[in-house]
Amino acid sequence: MSDALDSSRRTLLKAGAAAAALAALPACAVEERRPASDEGRPADFDRAVLDAAADLVLPSELDLVQRRAATDAFVRWVEGYVPVAEEMHGYGYPDVRYLPPDPAPNWRAQLEGLDLLAQRRHGARFATLDRTARTALLDDVLRPLATDRLPAPLAAPHVLLALLSHWVGQADAWDLAFDARIGRNTCRPLDDAVRQPRPLGPRSLG
Amino acid sequence: MGRTYGADICIVGSGITAAMVAAKLAQDAPAKRILVVEAGGWSTAPAERPRARDRWLAYGENPWQRDHLDDQNALGTTWGFSPNLHVGGLAMHWGGVAPRYSPEDFRLRSLYGVGDDWPIGYEDLEPFWLEAEQRLGVAGERGPARWDARTSDYPLPPLPVNWNLAQLRAAVAKADVATWSTPSAKNSVPYDGRAQCQRCDTCYPVCPTGAKYTPDVTWQQLLAAQRVELLTQVLVRRLEAHPATGRIVAATGNGTDAAGTAVRIEAGEFVLAGGFVWTAHLLLLSRDARHPDGLANRSGLVGRYLAGHRNVGGYLRLPGTVVPGVNQQHSLVSHQFMRAPTDRGRYLRHDLRLWESAEGREPRGRDDAGTPLYGDRLLADWRARAGGATARIRAYYDVLPHRESRLVLDPARTNRFGDPMPRVAFRDDEASAANRGWQEDRLRALFTRIARAAGGSVLKLQNSANDLGQEHPAGGCRMGTDAARSVCDPTGRTHDHENLWVAGAPAHVSASCCNGTLTFAAMGLRTAAHLAGTASPRPAS
Repeated sequence: MSDALDSSRRTLLKAGAAAAALAALPACAVEERRPASDEGRPADFDRAVLDAAADLVLPSELDLVQRRAATDAFVRWVEGYVPVAEEMHGYGYPDVRYLPPDPAPNWRAQLEGLDLLAQRRHGARFATLDRTARTALLDDVLRPLATDRLPAPLAAPHVLLALLSHWVGQADAWDLAFDARIGRNTCRPLDDAVRQPRPLGPRSLG
Repeated sequence: MGRTYGADICIVGSGITAAMVAAKLAQDAPAKRILVVEAGGWSTAPAERPRARDRWLAYGENPWQRDHLDDQNALGTTWGFSPNLHVGGLAMHWGGVAPRYSPEDFRLRSLYGVGDDWPIGYEDLEPFWLEAEQRLGVAGERGPARWDARTSDYPLPPLPVNWNLAQLRAAVAKADVATWSTPSAKNSVPYDGRAQCQRCDTCYPVCPTGAKYTPDVTWQQLLAAQRVELLTQVLVRRLEAHPATGRIVAATGNGTDAAGTAVRIEAGEFVLAGGFVWTAHLLLLSRDARHPDGLANRSGLVGRYLAGHRNVGGYLRLPGTVVPGVNQQHSLVSHQFMRAPTDRGRYLRHDLRLWESAEGREPRGRDDAGTPLYGDRLLADWRARAGGATARIRAYYDVLPHRESRLVLDPARTNRFGDPMPRVAFRDDEASAANRGWQEDRLRALFTRIARAAGGSVLKLQNSANDLGQEHPAGGCRMGTDAARSVCDPTGRTHDHENLWVAGAPAHVSASCCNGTLTFAAMGLRTAAHLAGTASPRPAS
């Protein structure tokens, strides 16, 4: 293991590498496939379904604006993804590895599937169901996929696990869980490091 | 038609050792024309690194664009990413950790009866360690005099022992383990035109602010001062030795761009600074009628005695509170076990590092009953497990190289020019092989003792992954005074070719039990000083 990587980050990278084994392309082909800009491709997710699911997948301590912001960030992340880009390959990598193909088509289908399941079971669109019914559906869908360690977003077997994993990877989520202004993975003044991170305080609840 | 270049000194490679060699020669041999040859091109520019960092964090993307040649790769267990051929080399990715070896490293045979002594000692290298620390900008804290042999302060004040590390330091002190801020080539204060570290926590693989030293800094400075010529995208494939004198007369190769133009470089002196893989590889490739086993290989030791170290690591649960994320990439270090006498008559030397950790306190995907966790249940479960303190602990321990720890040419796999690629296989010498299980047991026992003394417990133990080879690899052109038992002399000059020098990692006799990069750089500086004729005579011991 390298000096700097703990197991969580390494797991993220390894998960990506495992999926990418399906997509070992020559580097020249990869370069040709890179988009010319950061705009990426539209995810074309059914936002009504995604938002209705996000209201359950994300903690209720996030208010509606914060949940929508977290969901927007996830969608931007999906849209900004460059399929089969080179994976990081510093220490501990004997060769070049590539990230997985675009997960968006599968994730779109999963949202459609969730909506169809709602219609089969309840005769109504997922977004219109009450919280109890939506929770029951999510439990059924996610139970067989749940693992002890949350998968990295790119390795998530379901779009809602990817959404959740994307959120818990953000500094705000760690601050919330630890009730402290840590600012994980953000650039911060060096001298402040000697002080215990301050509690979030009441504003953290939005 | 090919291209021909001329220079007084030709440096092959542009990694951290090459950068130190070039900087030293530019200063100490100002009249000399210095030509540096790099197989790759420039990678991600400083202005692009914040975005590259963001994408690495978001997706795991490689932040270093165009940092390798697809067909120039070593096979086997190389630990480092050997096709990493671009300006700055693998040190563009490094974490910036910059410890020195200890005096014992140079006298393993004399002190412990294992391995081999080096032909130089700590005192020979000390001025060059200090110079490397100054050129890189190493921030560090002197350890207790009993455990830290350095005779001067670091050029930069230490990176702070942050709040988390202060908790860990107090905990392990209960086991009589002295720790100090890990020396790092990261600016604890603004230095050399670069900003202060902002603990962005992505030193490895990319610093977005330039606070961590990378070799491109030195190259930009030397180019701006017009002190070197840097020839990029040229792969040196052969060295030509004069049939009568043995002097190297030229380095030849080809462009690595689409044209692949033949290139010839004529110079008075040649310095190989391509790291442990490509230095030995080039010497073996350069075989000719008079040197059928490759250049500088009268001893038959080119590519042999590849050295490195392994580690045992783990996670400790400790009393108190550690908040993950304050500065994950900075650590505490102890070198007291590098200086210890033999333990019960058996050999074990190791370093010790401690980091903050989130192990066991991360969000999880299901609870103990297997129910999926998301939303409020996930946050509640996370909070319930988030408290307390966990630490990552790791010890690199000495692995002594066997003669058959070796790099060879593999004709079954060639690059675009038909050159056989290197195959690497590490092998422990007899003492290391015999002691390995006992050594690793002792380290696990030490971790347990530390945890218990602090009132905690061991969460998890793990060894370094065996499929990676040995860490911080070196060797392949070991130095020595006997031409029959070494490739280069104690200055780095090859025994067989008076104008051919090996700089940095390849000249190592062994690879200590701590990160080697600073020592690679110091060895390069020392070789450059001897080449320039500015090295001080060895002090009387």
